[in-house]
Amino acid sequence: MSQIITAETGLSGTPDQVDPVTFEVLRSLFDYAAARMSSILQRSSFSQILADNVDFSNAIYDAELRLLAQAANCPVHLAAMHFSAKALAAKFDIERLEEGDILVVNDPYNGGTHINDLTFMMPIMHKGRRIAFAVSRGHWMDLGGGAAGGLAGSNHVAAEGLRVPPLKIFRAGKPNEDVFDILLANSRTPQFIRGDLQAHLGALRGAEREMQRAAERYGTDLLLAAMRQLIAYTERISRKGIEAIPDGVYEAEDWADTDGQTDDPVKVKVTIKVEGSDITVDFEGSDRAVVGAINSPVANTAAAVYYALQFFVGPDAPANAGMFAPIRIVLPDDCWLNAKWPMPVVNCTCITAGKVAAAVWQALAKAIPGQIIAPTFADANWFMATVTTNSGTTLFTDILSGGWGGTPFHDGMSVTMDPLGNCLNTPAESAELMHRIVYERFDLLQDSGGAGRNRGGLGSAFEVRFLGHGTLGIETSRTRSGSPGVNGGDTSPAQRMLRIGPKKSQVIGGLAADGSWKNPISGTHAFAPGEVFRFEATGGGGWGNPLERDPAAVLDDVLDEYVSREAANSQYGVVLSADGLRLDPQATAARRAELSRERRNPHA
Amino acid sequence: MWRVGVDVGGTFTDLFAWHEGTGERRTCKVLTTKNDRSEGVLAVIADAGIPLAGMSVLVHGTTTATNALIERSYPEAALVTTEGFRDVLEIGRMHREFLYRPYQTKPSPLIRRRHRFTVDERLSAQGETVRPLDVGAARAVAGRIAATPIRSIAVCFINSYVTSRHERAMCDILQDAMPDADVVCSGDLRPVFREHGRFTTAAIAACLMPVMRDYFDQLERRLADGGFGGRLLILKSNGGMMSARFARHHPEELIESGPAGGVAYAAHLCRSTGFRDILHTDVGGTSFDTSILPGGEPLVTRQYELEWDVPVMVPMLDIRSVGAGGGSVAWVDDGGSLRVGPRSAGSEPGPACYGRGGTEATVTDANLLLGRLHPSLGGKFALDVAAARRAVQTVADAMGMSLLEAAEGIVRIGCETMAHAVKAAISSRGRDPRDFVLASFGGAGPMHACFVAQALSIPRVVVPAYAGVASAFGATAMDIRHDIEAFHYSPVSSADPARIEAILAGLQAEGHARLAADGITPDRMRFIRSAQMRYVGQTYEITVPLPEGGALDAAGLERLGSEFHETHRIEYGVASDDFFPEIVSLGVAAIGVTTRLPDTAAAVVNGDASRGTRPVYFDGHWHDVSVHDGEVMGVGTDLSGPAIIEYAHAIAVMPPGATGRIDRDRNLIVTLA
Repeated sequence: MSQIITAETGLSGTPDQVDPVTFEVLRSLFDYAAARMSSILQRSSFSQILADNVDFSNAIYDAELRLLAQAANCPVHLAAMHFSAKALAAKFDIERLEEGDILVVNDPYNGGTHINDLTFMMPIMHKGRRIAFAVSRGHWMDLGGGAAGGLAGSNHVAAEGLRVPPLKIFRAGKPNEDVFDILLANSRTPQFIRGDLQAHLGALRGAEREMQRAAERYGTDLLLAAMRQLIAYTERISRKGIEAIPDGVYEAEDWADTDGQTDDPVKVKVTIKVEGSDITVDFEGSDRAVVGAINSPVANTAAAVYYALQFFVGPDAPANAGMFAPIRIVLPDDCWLNAKWPMPVVNCTCITAGKVAAAVWQALAKAIPGQIIAPTFADANWFMATVTTNSGTTLFTDILSGGWGGTPFHDGMSVTMDPLGNCLNTPAESAELMHRIVYERFDLLQDSGGAGRNRGGLGSAFEVRFLGHGTLGIETSRTRSGSPGVNGGDTSPAQRMLRIGPKKSQVIGGLAADGSWKNPISGTHAFAPGEVFRFEATGGGGWGNPLERDPAAVLDDVLDEYVSREAANSQYGVVLSADGLRLDPQATAARRAELSRERRNPHA
Repeated sequence: MWRVGVDVGGTFTDLFAWHEGTGERRTCKVLTTKNDRSEGVLAVIADAGIPLAGMSVLVHGTTTATNALIERSYPEAALVTTEGFRDVLEIGRMHREFLYRPYQTKPSPLIRRRHRFTVDERLSAQGETVRPLDVGAARAVAGRIAATPIRSIAVCFINSYVTSRHERAMCDILQDAMPDADVVCSGDLRPVFREHGRFTTAAIAACLMPVMRDYFDQLERRLADGGFGGRLLILKSNGGMMSARFARHHPEELIESGPAGGVAYAAHLCRSTGFRDILHTDVGGTSFDTSILPGGEPLVTRQYELEWDVPVMVPMLDIRSVGAGGGSVAWVDDGGSLRVGPRSAGSEPGPACYGRGGTEATVTDANLLLGRLHPSLGGKFALDVAAARRAVQTVADAMGMSLLEAAEGIVRIGCETMAHAVKAAISSRGRDPRDFVLASFGGAGPMHACFVAQALSIPRVVVPAYAGVASAFGATAMDIRHDIEAFHYSPVSSADPARIEAILAGLQAEGHARLAADGITPDRMRFIRSAQMRYVGQTYEITVPLPEGGALDAAGLERLGSEFHETHRIEYGVASDDFFPEIVSLGVAAIGVTTRLPDTAAAVVNGDASRGTRPVYFDGHWHDVSVHDGEVMGVGTDLSGPAIIEYAHAIAVMPPGATGRIDRDRNLIVTLA
């Protein structure tokens, strides 16, 4: 049995009714309204993960709940939010919603992804008529569960925090205090709850104001016609993009290192079938559901497919429901990518979405090798930690980005949030002001990018020292091997994490010096006062044969210490003069010839 | 003696001057001399017939700093930072500019990694020493830099916003090793928290110091050689001026100072016209700049980014820019939609009608075909109508529109893009555009102003008399201004008013000293005090003015709290007594009031303003439109649209239905239907 997910909008072939000039005007107005929501939410929110890390997303939906416009936040949220919207609409008749009603949901098995991401939805009314919806999703710092931030690494969703089924949290502008009270009573960080709610409310109202003004000025009928036309327009661009991909069947695999409960890798198998302007993404052959917390609800798996394809189908098209319309997704019933209650899911948005997207890119590499970019580190390396001293416990979080893969045109970006999100790091000075910790390091990690004609961007090294007793939960992967290269590019080194004490340092996740592998996924890595948590995030995969890289670029990389002199020699075949400041062209040519013979896979 | 404003833009160098004795006014425009911009400054003064020895004040705005940064064309600089934080400039905040674009790169770091050095040292967030500065390592780093030609160095340590004592020790070691070096201490330059913004700002200052010193040296030498004995003042990013001497040490305050002159002109208009809330808009060849002046005061932001993820932590005028101007290119996208900008044909090759090889349709080409621009451009320039027609026809064919439909559509979409920038400037501050009067600056501004206003339902437009040389005019209408701030963290409920007063007094003393050094006497000094505030638990601050007059007391603190709630409501649409306000930092704006242009329009010459009629296309039809010479139009003249008003350096377009009147300062006040 398989589940098939389609996203027809019912709008394809909508005739152009709005004059082209007004159409363009309204298109940018919708974008502006969504961007305005994000600006309000970031600047007025209270928890670190919203204000500093910007782990949230905002969008406008049309009156029939089709995505209309979104702000440039987290793709894994954005492409999943319409599942939440649909789940809310299924419970609350949208025809009967009133102005000022706000609905909320996070239920992983009913439109949500992981517990942490709460989605708020508000109808936007004009003169008694529903013209749109504002939808705002935020990752909340903590909603209870077996470990801080829900990162329990357990075998049951109950350990991941409070499940919120579709609820009405504001009725005609009045808060439902009962819901507030339940949220407040179930969080490790109740101090953020009311403030973050206020920030989401500000964002929703910001969108409402903009859309109502537009309806006032252009009239509701014209506004709604422009919405339909915009969605059809994006579908047109997306279909053109798909038509540019040669018809065919393309397969690839990628792996999560572990579900946290066993040491077995977990497989994503993807088969992409391109036929004209339609695309089917089938996960038949992927592993069955797993015990640990990497199972992915439908909304999350579908979101990963959507955003991964978007990069190569219509990256600059207005982002709306039209981009999903040509895409059909097939999910086996018993599959870790099709989670059912009570499977734990907390790591799905990062570990699982990242691997699904990386597998999609690797399949596309076979279809459009000249256009594809190599996979990224394909994760968020998101951690939540508590630090406890005599004066109490505080909770902090960060996202430890690695690098992006090399592209056909240039090296990959170093230390940039994975395609799945667009979050910001936690500034050291912000973290230290609030918590008894010292940020000791967040810098580029030498030799961490996959070698290639265009190399992968570099990953990072991160260190935090606990001044009290620390407990840390983390989701991560790529700890057995790094980001794969494409077109003959190399794989980047594996990620790993360490506990560094005054006397000894110890690998607590990934490959140790003796070759043994430690399971990194746990909600309870413990740190004594003074001990340091170190994380090494990997870079992106390499693009093309590294022996074809311009030696001058390799020299520059060595001078900037992006690449060590040893790696220049062993990976790129570039030999430098004794002082390390110049190339040795003769020795380089000889070394490259030697390495070329050794390379098992000559360049494509 | 003459008071002279000169603004050096990307394409033109503009001058506005007025004579302190006779009140005579002069304007002039020359092409910017790109290799040595000071040459153009001298040229425009000479062209205006003003003797260098006859100038009492020269106020100068320049894009030299911004250009050097964007092109990374400055001598290589070095960074010395805390071990573990070598790559703050390069990592930035880790986010990307384009959500789904596979081929994107981040801005290249201001200072290359090979020139970024680390030393062991550490301060806590409370300013305590966690690890002292490793002096041996510090000296070794100084030695390594001294062995290179690099002589601009930024010192950026973690938590130096609390105290810069480690940074200062490092600076001393560097200065000992290289007495000729420019060394910038981040905590002293801008004691703001969150390392990325502070480090970047210090790096910018270090990179620009040699560039701006060379530039000002050259300019001062040329001026002195010509007999200039007056004062040279420089426009800065916050909408004020500073002495050239100070500017050499604070080049980070020169970034984006270009549009500051226009904003000063807008503030001048608030005073002279009596309009309270003015919206400033400035249209150039490639970009559209806009800001608001509620109550006649420009807004200042601390969230400016030079490029993606390159923040400049200097109080700057809150000006929004979009890529929309006369040179914006019209194109048809993959989905068959007509788009305008953000790409511009620039000044080379420029719009198709410039006849310099441009083949793409631009907003200027469209205006020409619609008859809004005259092909002879007032006799200055011959525009190529056939080339413009060919270019716009290509777009029209792709869209299945007629030539004129396409031309009118291009102008309208360009104006709508401008309108969105206005909305971003206004509504992110929670205000309504309809409460403002739109003032239009720049050579191409008044041609589009009425359409931008219509898109925003703004009923009234002001075309200022010197719109075409707005920044140069504004430069002569500006005050000296220094924004100084100090970190001070305290919830309002437990704040100590005496402590706050002491900090503010220190800031004010510093401001007093800087103004005195600029030659400002105490009777011309003004001090505006403000606090950066947020709710306890929030991360971002908003600026709240501190009550004026008298020392802060308990009642004043309470007022400050309620003022914060209200400001938060205006900015974000929500506020609540459930949360407690806190202060994060304190600031003083030290203002030196300068001599103003006399209000009387003594130099105005009235004459025969009629230039006949010509056909102009509006709303799908040709209209027979009267054309006027804006330079000699009499005070009190009434106009009715459609009309074209041609000035020496600008052209205004009044659409059908609009009415206008020339006020006593010869600004054109338009009321839209």
